[in-house]
Amino acid sequence: MPLLQYIRLIDIMARMGLRADATRFFLGYVWWVLEPLLWVGVLYVVFVTIMGTREPDFLMFLATGKLMFVWFSKSVVQASNSIVSGKGLVGKINVPKTLFPMAVVQEGIYRQAAVFVMLSIILLSNGYSMTATWWYLVPLMIVNYVVIVACAFLAACLVCLARDFAQLISLGMLFLLFTSGIFWDVRTLDPEKMKMVLDGNPMAFLLDAYRQIMMHNTSPDMFHLLTIGAGFGALLSVMVLFMRHRSQYLALRALTA
Amino acid sequence: MSEHKPIVLELNEVSLSYHAGGKAFDHGRHHVLQDVSMKLYEKETLGIIGRNGVGKTTLLRVMAGILAPTKGRVRMESGKSASLLTLGLGFKPDLSGRDNALLAAMLQGSTQKQAISFLNDIKAFSELGDSFNEPVKKYSAGMRSRLAFTTALMTHVDVLLIDEILSVGDAHFRGKALAAMQGRITGDQTVVFVSHMADQVEKMCDRVIWLENGKIVAEGDAKEVTSAYTESVALASKPAIEHQAE
Repeated sequence: MPLLQYIRLIDIMARMGLRADATRFFLGYVWWVLEPLLWVGVLYVVFVTIMGTREPDFLMFLATGKLMFVWFSKSVVQASNSIVSGKGLVGKINVPKTLFPMAVVQEGIYRQAAVFVMLSIILLSNGYSMTATWWYLVPLMIVNYVVIVACAFLAACLVCLARDFAQLISLGMLFLLFTSGIFWDVRTLDPEKMKMVLDGNPMAFLLDAYRQIMMHNTSPDMFHLLTIGAGFGALLSVMVLFMRHRSQYLALRALTA
Repeated sequence: MSEHKPIVLELNEVSLSYHAGGKAFDHGRHHVLQDVSMKLYEKETLGIIGRNGVGKTTLLRVMAGILAPTKGRVRMESGKSASLLTLGLGFKPDLSGRDNALLAAMLQGSTQKQAISFLNDIKAFSELGDSFNEPVKKYSAGMRSRLAFTTALMTHVDVLLIDEILSVGDAHFRGKALAAMQGRITGDQTVVFVSHMADQVEKMCDRVIWLENGKIVAEGDAKEVTSAYTESVALASKPAIEHQAE
C-alpha cells in the first residue's frame, strides 16, 4: 500500500470512528470537553473537599498528570483490541495490520487535542502563564506519541496472539496509574527513590516533564527525554517489521483464536 | 481449453493448519487444507464446491493472500491483484453505509477521489435510499447484504474471489445481482466462485473443483463435477431421510 494512501486511510478511519462515537451519545462532541472537566471535578471532590488538601496547586498538579496520562492509557487500551475487533476486514482484505492500531491512535490525537486545550485553559485561568518554555512541549509530545504508538502496536499484537493479554493490559494500566506519580509528586520522594521511579518508569518522567513545563516554567532533562524516544523508537521499528512480515499470521490468529 | 491460457494463480501442495487450542483433533491442531494443488487460468470462471466447513473460505483467503499456507506455495502472477467478496461483513456497525462503502473501496486500493465517485452508483444499485446515510447497525440483514454485494461489485480487481455471495437478499435483488455478476463473469474477469449450491456453480462456471475435508476430491468439467457432488450429498442425506420416514 502506498504511504500516502496509508496515511489517508488512517485519517479517514479515525475521523469516521470519532463521528460514529459522537452519534452514539446524546451529547456527542460535547463529551470531548465535558470528560476532562468532569475528571477535574472528581479530583476536586476527592482531594480538596473530602481529603482537605490545603495546597492550592494540588488540583492543577492532579489535573495535568491525569489528563496527560489519559492520552496514553486510552490509546493503548483501545488499540489493544483493534486488530481482533477488525477481524471482519482482516478476513476480507490483506491490509497492513498496523492500520488498525494507527487509526485508534489517530483518534486519540484528535481527542487529546481538545483535552489539551481544556487543560491549558484551566491552568491559565488559575494564574499560570504560557511562556517560551512551553515550546519544550513539542519534543515532549513527539516522544510521548512514539511511546504511545510503540505500546499500541505491541498491545494489539499481544491480544492477537492470546486474548488473555487484554486482561493484563487493563491491569497494567491501573498499575501505571498508581506508579507514575499522578496522585503523588515524584519530587517529594527521597532522591534515591525519585531516581529509581523516573529511570524505571518512562510515564512518570513524561508526566513530571509536563508539570515542570506547564506549571513551573522549567525545561525537562532533554537527554533523558531523547533516551526514552530512542528506546521506544527502537521498539516501534521492531514492531513494524514484525507486523509486516507476520501479517498473515496475525490475520490467522485474529480469525481463529 | 483452459490449458492454453496463461496461469494467473497457482497453488502448489498447499496445506494450512493451526492450533485451535484445547483438545480438538490431533493435539489441538486443526487441519483446514491438505495438499491442495490447483491452477487458475486467465479469464476463466472457476467454481469451488463443497459442504459447509470443508475449507472453501480458507482456500479463498489463501488465494487472496490474507492467510499464508503452513506448507506449500502460492504463486500469483506479478502485478495482479485479487480481492475477496464476501457477505461475512467487514462492516463497522456504527458507521453509515456510505462511510463503510468508502472505507471498503479505499482499503481495496481506490483513491479517495475514486472511492467518492463510486458512492452514487453504490447508493443507486443497492436501492438503500436515505438509509445509505444511516448507521449499518440499523440495517436489516437484507439491506446489509445489498450493501455488501454492491460495494464489492464496484471494485475492480484482476481476480475476483466470490464467497457465497448470491445466496442472500430478496428475490428481486437476487435476480438483479445475479445478472450483474454474470455480466462480470462473461466479460474479461477472472473469477473464482465458491458455493455449496450445485445449480449456481454449474450455471456460472467453466471448470469446477470439489473440496471435501480440506482436500480436492474431483476437478474438471462443471457438469460432471457438480453432478457427482449432488449425488454424494443426496447419498449422505438418504439414511437420515429414511430414518425420518419410519
